[in-house]
Amino acid sequence: MSYKVRLLATALASVGMALPALADDETITVGFATAQSGAMQAYDKPADEAAMIRIEEINAAGGLLGKQIQVVTADTKSDRAEGAKAGLSVLDQGADLVIVSCDYDFGAPAALAAQDAGIVSFFSCAESVKAGIQGVGPLSFSGSVLAPVQGAAMAEWAFKEKDAKTFYKLLDTWTVYNKGICDGFDWMMPKLEEQGAKLVGEDTFKNEDASIAAQITRIKALPEEPDAIMLCTMMPGGVSAVKQLRAAGINSMILNGSGMDGSYWLSAVPDLSNFYIPVQASIYGDDPNPDVKKFNEAYKAKTGADPSSQYVYPGYVAVDVWSKAVERAGTTEAEAVVAELEKMKDEPTLFGPRTFTSELHHQANARYLVVNVDKGKPGVVGEWTLSEPVPMEAILK
Amino acid sequence: MTAASPTMSAQAVPPSAVAEHKPARFALARKTIMTPILLSLLLVAIAVLTYLTGSRPFNQTVIDVFVRVTLVVGLYIFIGNSGVLSFGHIAFTCLGGYAAAWLTINPIMKASALPGLPQFILDLRLPYWQSAVIAAIFAGVAALILGKVLMRLSGIAASIATFAVLAMINTIYANWDSVTGGTSSVVGIPIIRTIWPYLIGAIIAIFLAWAHAISRSGLALRAARDEPTAAAASGVDIPRERLVAFVVSGAVMGLGGALTAHSVGVVTPDTFYLGLTFITLSMLVVGGMGSLSGAVIGVVLLSALIQILRWMEAGISIAETTIALPKGVQEIALGVIMIVILALRPSGLLGNREVTLFQRKRNR
Repeated sequence: MSYKVRLLATALASVGMALPALADDETITVGFATAQSGAMQAYDKPADEAAMIRIEEINAAGGLLGKQIQVVTADTKSDRAEGAKAGLSVLDQGADLVIVSCDYDFGAPAALAAQDAGIVSFFSCAESVKAGIQGVGPLSFSGSVLAPVQGAAMAEWAFKEKDAKTFYKLLDTWTVYNKGICDGFDWMMPKLEEQGAKLVGEDTFKNEDASIAAQITRIKALPEEPDAIMLCTMMPGGVSAVKQLRAAGINSMILNGSGMDGSYWLSAVPDLSNFYIPVQASIYGDDPNPDVKKFNEAYKAKTGADPSSQYVYPGYVAVDVWSKAVERAGTTEAEAVVAELEKMKDEPTLFGPRTFTSELHHQANARYLVVNVDKGKPGVVGEWTLSEPVPMEAILK
Repeated sequence: MTAASPTMSAQAVPPSAVAEHKPARFALARKTIMTPILLSLLLVAIAVLTYLTGSRPFNQTVIDVFVRVTLVVGLYIFIGNSGVLSFGHIAFTCLGGYAAAWLTINPIMKASALPGLPQFILDLRLPYWQSAVIAAIFAGVAALILGKVLMRLSGIAASIATFAVLAMINTIYANWDSVTGGTSSVVGIPIIRTIWPYLIGAIIAIFLAWAHAISRSGLALRAARDEPTAAAASGVDIPRERLVAFVVSGAVMGLGGALTAHSVGVVTPDTFYLGLTFITLSMLVVGGMGSLSGAVIGVVLLSALIQILRWMEAGISIAETTIALPKGVQEIALGVIMIVILALRPSGLLGNREVTLFQRKRNR
């Protein structure tokens, strides 16, 4: 009887694990607990592919600590409860690093599982401060840059480089990401006002609003059209907002977060101009760094398509900085790797320098390229790094 | 009006005759106790088997199943006994989940993330099982207040009204930033990864459901479900009996919410919305709305099915070849299987029957 039970139990266990656990010393394992189906897949898949490119590069160059990196995956199905299971599943398969979903809300359950098990986790491209120490624990990091940096960088860049004097803030209250962009803007604005800029008004809308006519009327009622509108929004409602602003004849420069990057939606607003987006690197083939172009080619060769937005890049960064920390620590053991990661100050990566501290496992400053959409054609027009990092008070707001 | 009818019937039947027909105390309990015991044994068997495998993702899957059992049994207490389809019970799960979060998160984190909470809750940090009990009571009290109004309705009006409650609670929890964190995740809830608390939670739900069903109130409610006019004429106060079921089921849903919170460690308002409402309702309907066994077995069967399909999506290696279904087939196949089950057995797998030891003999 007990034999049968054990037999059944073993059978179940072996089905439960898609691959046998290979926690041996010959390989290092990277686990992807990301969405391979469902709503988050559109964000997770590109970042995962970029991470895979970095892993393949490392393996081709002889591996990490002389060992080949093997990859295990589990599908979160864009569901939080499944996310926890996916995290546990890759951990059971011996993951030394867990890459979790791009969004904090969806990635957190898997990251918490990794934190619990004492394993380092990286959000592939989450831009909330919670994606790290604040929302998961001391073993969690993000490969991307905080949303407030985007808002602050765009405001400072527009003031310094484009001579924008009057600003208007339009916030879509739908997500924490949107609020984050405007938090950064709010922190930057008083500094710019000391130098002669002026916030002439602010307003909010909701991503799902079919019409923002009321908000537009208030902008039109201003004595003068503002030089720049800080638009803190994202897909899909962002497109409609931009379209309505332009249709109403408002020609102010529109400043955005990185969430509006990508050319896939531009046909919805024909001949859009004066529209600025901060990006970590350019997907439009005009990045000043030739290595980014090489990466874009490698990405196309691997997936059959160009990167769809800048959110491809942080996946690569995550594996890149983690592997460097492992190399320096000489082990994949979490505490040693975290200590090495926290020593990184302006660590060069393909997509800009990265800094981690014992308080923040995220970027409070970053080098951004500024993409302008001119008559419907996006292209890099500048580069900006904040004059000082966004302080913790503004980040945690 | 209704109060007049029992006096009339009491006059018609001599008191001695009533006494003769009165069954012995606990006769009904003795006759039906096997059902919750067998159902609990089924869950215990699953738990022990899971424990033996030692696989962490499988353990988490079974934890999920037990949470669902708690929720679907909670639904059954109201829907099964009253016959009123409720789309709003997940609202009480939401209340329970957030209550558990408020009571168990580290006070330092709470003060910064949820500053709008009353001071005594901000300072409080309870062990998970105490918070689960309080969460259940909290949800039960909310059900009492809301049910007082809702239970006067019946039929489709009641169903839509419960749905309105769900939408209302969801909107409040998604926008009351200082108390619920708004649409962003509330984190820092201690995660319990051992299977036993969830098993105990599910078993408590099953026994509560059984005790309610055989109680005076439960029997009266079922009579009202099948023959509302006759029940009312015999002195059953239908809104009152419905309210009792609503409160008990609300409390069980709250317990389920607390368990959900501790199993994932994160709560957001959209976790407790339409998705969870429909999956739990369909599990109840497939298992058999009018039966406690149906509620439990519906969850276990559908969860097993979902899990098998997921394994097949992930790919199963048989003799060096990996067979994998395309992603997304799981949802489609589940839908098809549910349609087939309902086509063949319109009142669910178990209909109105319960699992007992002697069922077969009696049927012959």
